[in-house]
Amino acid sequence: MTDGMPTTQPAPEARPIVAMRDIDKRFGPVQANDRVDLTLYPGEIHAVLGENGAGKTTLMNILSGMYQPDSGSIALDGTPVTIGSPSEALALGIGTVYQHFTLVPNLSVIENVMLGTKTGFVLNLSRGEQQLNELLAGFELNTDPTTEVRHLSIGQRQRVEIIKVLFRGTRVLLLDEPTSVLTPSEVDGLFRILHRLREEGVSVVIITHKLEEALDVSDRVTILRGGKNVGELGPAEIVAAGRAGARQQIVETMFGGMPAAVETFQQHVATGETLLELQRVSAMGDRGEMAIRDLSLQLRAGEIYGIAGVDGNGQKELGEIIAGQRKTTSGQLIFDGQDFTNKGVATLSRAGVGYITDDRMGEGVVPGMSVAQNAALKTINRAPFSKGFFLNRKAIEENANALIEQFSVKTPSADTRITLLSGGNIQKLMLARELAMNPRVIVCNKPTYGLDLKTAQFVVKTLREEADSGKAVLLISSELDEILEISDRIGVIYNGEIVETFDRTQIDVETIGRLMLSGRAAAQESAA
Amino acid sequence: MNERARLSGISLLPIASSVMAIVMAFVIGGIFLEANGKDALHAYRILFERGLINGDGLTETFKKMAPMLIVSAGLLIALRASVWNIGIDGQFMVGALLAGVAGAHLSGSVPNPLMWSIAAIAGIAGGLLWAVVPALLMVKFKLNEIITTLLMNYVAVYVTAWLAKGPFKDPDRVAPQTPKIPLEDRLPFIPGTEVHIGLIVGLISVVVVAILFRSTVYGFCLDVVGRNRRAAIHAGFPVGRLAGSALLLSGAFAGLAGANDVLGIQGLFKANWNPGYGFTAFALVYLARLNSLLIIPFAFFFSFLLVGGDSMPRRADVPTYFVEMLEGLMLICFAVAVYLERRWHVISERLRGRPDDRVEPETSSGVESLEGLEASS
Amino acid sequence: MTINGIDVTDFLTAMLATGLLRAVPLVLASLGDVFAQKAGLLNLGIEGMMLSGCFFGFYAAYHTESVTYGLLAGMAAGLALALLFAFLTVQLRVDQVLVGLAITIFGAGLTGYLFRDLFGGQNVSAAVRPMTIRIPLLADIPIAGKALFDRQALFYLCWLLVPVFAFVLNRTRFGLNVRAVGENPFAADAAGVNVIQVRYLAMALAGIMAGFAGAFLAVADLKIFTIGMTVGQGFIALAITMIGGWSPWKIAFGAILFGMLNALGDSLQIIGVGVRTEFIGMFPYIGIMIAMIVLARRTSVPAALGIPYARGQR
Repeated sequence: MTDGMPTTQPAPEARPIVAMRDIDKRFGPVQANDRVDLTLYPGEIHAVLGENGAGKTTLMNILSGMYQPDSGSIALDGTPVTIGSPSEALALGIGTVYQHFTLVPNLSVIENVMLGTKTGFVLNLSRGEQQLNELLAGFELNTDPTTEVRHLSIGQRQRVEIIKVLFRGTRVLLLDEPTSVLTPSEVDGLFRILHRLREEGVSVVIITHKLEEALDVSDRVTILRGGKNVGELGPAEIVAAGRAGARQQIVETMFGGMPAAVETFQQHVATGETLLELQRVSAMGDRGEMAIRDLSLQLRAGEIYGIAGVDGNGQKELGEIIAGQRKTTSGQLIFDGQDFTNKGVATLSRAGVGYITDDRMGEGVVPGMSVAQNAALKTINRAPFSKGFFLNRKAIEENANALIEQFSVKTPSADTRITLLSGGNIQKLMLARELAMNPRVIVCNKPTYGLDLKTAQFVVKTLREEADSGKAVLLISSELDEILEISDRIGVIYNGEIVETFDRTQIDVETIGRLMLSGRAAAQESAA
Repeated sequence: MNERARLSGISLLPIASSVMAIVMAFVIGGIFLEANGKDALHAYRILFERGLINGDGLTETFKKMAPMLIVSAGLLIALRASVWNIGIDGQFMVGALLAGVAGAHLSGSVPNPLMWSIAAIAGIAGGLLWAVVPALLMVKFKLNEIITTLLMNYVAVYVTAWLAKGPFKDPDRVAPQTPKIPLEDRLPFIPGTEVHIGLIVGLISVVVVAILFRSTVYGFCLDVVGRNRRAAIHAGFPVGRLAGSALLLSGAFAGLAGANDVLGIQGLFKANWNPGYGFTAFALVYLARLNSLLIIPFAFFFSFLLVGGDSMPRRADVPTYFVEMLEGLMLICFAVAVYLERRWHVISERLRGRPDDRVEPETSSGVESLEGLEASS
Repeated sequence: MTINGIDVTDFLTAMLATGLLRAVPLVLASLGDVFAQKAGLLNLGIEGMMLSGCFFGFYAAYHTESVTYGLLAGMAAGLALALLFAFLTVQLRVDQVLVGLAITIFGAGLTGYLFRDLFGGQNVSAAVRPMTIRIPLLADIPIAGKALFDRQALFYLCWLLVPVFAFVLNRTRFGLNVRAVGENPFAADAAGVNVIQVRYLAMALAGIMAGFAGAFLAVADLKIFTIGMTVGQGFIALAITMIGGWSPWKIAFGAILFGMLNALGDSLQIIGVGVRTEFIGMFPYIGIMIAMIVLARRTSVPAALGIPYARGQR
């Protein structure tokens, strides 16, 4: 990492290059930005900090021209501007690197960089290549510009993104959660680049929910909470407070007055029999890459086994393998002493393995069908929902009403279309649906993602109760706190492998964090 | 949805946009006719008089309705599962040919009801057989069924023509056609009418499909596959088999329609005979908003259009192709109506202030909008 | 050269000559369709556009006795329907399959109506005399010479479009935009490419080419119009585009192959081999399905094919 503290860049209290004032943005009834201000000075790195849903991304999308604010003003170099589209933003010198990269995988590096630039009808690739090669060298990007982007690593792609916007003379660079997909060494590389850009006079806005990184790289920090400004620390204040002080101050601003942390659950040592076992399983991801490599794990009755890891290290694939939704290329899946390898969802579900997907709208429910129909979706061909060929509508409705009641799902009726429910209520319904099948093994992928605190607590509590009643729960989550809170054992997944398993008693957060970020290499390093 | 909500207009909106699309198509068609130097009102009067009011015409309309109903019922099965069976015409022709051959072969030697049944089964088998290739290609090779079913139509034209000229040709005739089923062995009339009982078969087909989607596990599963294929995979449905079976069933109904026309009206299969119901059925099922029972009124509507259209060249100097053009216009207007309807939903919900973070995906094909009618009644 | 009394030279000459001619409408329509598909548009209206190109091309050529006006009229007809398609699918974001089939039905109805109304359904031919160019020496090469170097001027022009389209697709800003828009419209938008505009332009090009293909068939090749004369060639062109992996060069190859299959029946008749025409007629359709099976898995479909784009929705 860098030296930790913001460098000695003099506070350029000159005229701000970007001044966003009183920005309001509503999405339906949700006030995503509520009179938000953002002031960016030339040649500084400015972090916008906030929890999920604090309005950071909305603010950035407004600056990048993706959204239009409902009210408020934006001034660039003191001149009021309206930014009607991403291309207008680019023309004004505001370039954005999105969290989900916006490269076209089938185009080469140079084609991606030149996409959208306004030059003649015929592409002058050789001239572009020359300019690009100069840029590439400075970016530690050791690749031929004619390589198709899909062959690059994530870190390389991010640098291509940055190059792409710089190529158009960007003066203001916006980065949305740039480190979420990077390995620690790639993060270092990124920060080096950002510091270099600062020296060249580029202003950088980095949107993040990672406090340490914000402190590592930025000169100024703006903190958002619930769509509002709650604090700003300029370079002088950060220096004055020292790193620890600044951290303390920011944490208080971000979380101050939050309801007390969820009750910590009784420690629970699982001694039950092994219910489900993966033996050296490998599987491909959706794009044909090896997503799971030689992975083994055991789930015991009565425990919650937490899978910790940075997103995209094979978590989704792991869940799908256990559910029977993804074929393995080698290895075995043993459930209840029997071989269930590649037996398919229907068989495993009948045998007693439940899976709650993280993709609620994409595969969890059927939009356009009712709550009742969705509640019976997975068991439609079983009694009492059907007798032979025919549906039992009454049973479907009664079942739904019972689940709605039991899990306090907020819905006008069981006949309401599922899409009219909020995300939290859909999640509750999916949980209810799975538990109603009375599975002995429950796999949960990000069960609290995007939920309000109360619903999240309810979901977590329910899972704990299920485990306490003798079931085995596999909890996959990218929120380490959540895993630490209720798991009996924790496995760290990195690059498709479980690199280490911890019992609850021997949990060491720092080691887990390191393993999540860089796998076994980091573990060996720290042991040495 | 409760009773009031269902009647409050929101669920009537889908039908309203279909009707609006039809009216708009007539208006545009009328302007086209006028611009073309025809008397549009006269032409439309002929169209309606002949297809709807005139007694003989009405009989014709009801006769035409039979294949319309059967074909559309089958097409609905496929479209509800998001399987695009554009190969109705080919399936119809092969079904018609086989039914004609079986019927002519058996007529006189077995009792008529038995002959009809066997011929109908032959027709069903023919249509199903013709759907096997695209179904296999779709399930096994993931080939787009739109293109394969379309191509199979052209193959069917050649194959049936070859069979009607060769192996199955009526040896007593010069024309390339299968042997004739004698008039007295054709399907009987519904008592008191001159409409053969195929119409009843058609109505039964629609009712069967309605029951399939309302009350059976299979229909439910097809709906899930059609609305969210990934949810179907997640729920453990055999998605490939379901989609493939929907295509096969759809072909089987098309084949049955072919048998119906041969047994009820034609009595034989002539080489290159292709009434081209496929595209009409496509327009029909879409305008009926993929709702099973709505097929019945729309089938009546399209039947009288076709029948009325047949009289237009002679009595209004308007080529019959005008009706096909009108069908295209209806679908184009329908596309606009689907868009307007979507805007309407967005606006009306904004006015009512709906709960916060729910996600309402855009309905692309108008499939979603009929829930109030089909699933919760 | 004869085998079993059959003149092989005649046969091969006829195959090559007719095959290349039959391939022209396919290659023209496919070249345009590459742009539509690469931009994310599945154009099932292509059959209707091609048929309209046939009729309006023929109509103009019949009255002006000019090949040029015929072709221009055909292109205009294709363009008009393409703009309608783009308006409904790109602007209003209605389902592409629905709109495509609507346009194909409309095109079939419209051309049928107009042909009956204006020509009384009579088969009349347009008195056009397309210019031919005979390239000296080369045209004297046995078999290939006559087939390749003694043709209409237009014939050469059409094949010259293959490298032109390859260049536009791979080496120009427009081509780059089209490829990006069909693969990741969000990325293209973020990079400042006007997704809607690019899709409109790509569709317009596809429509013009489909109309051109139809007009070539009716005006330059057959010089007559018959109702439904494209018999699925638009759909075949669409499939060739996919099989050819959206590469103009491979598409040209595919079109020639299917042109040859198309010409097989005629060529056999020329040399007096009696084969049932019905039997040979189905070859191209079956051939294309087989080609799809063999080649389908090697190509990757543009990721956003068939999916409408609206900013802020992913």
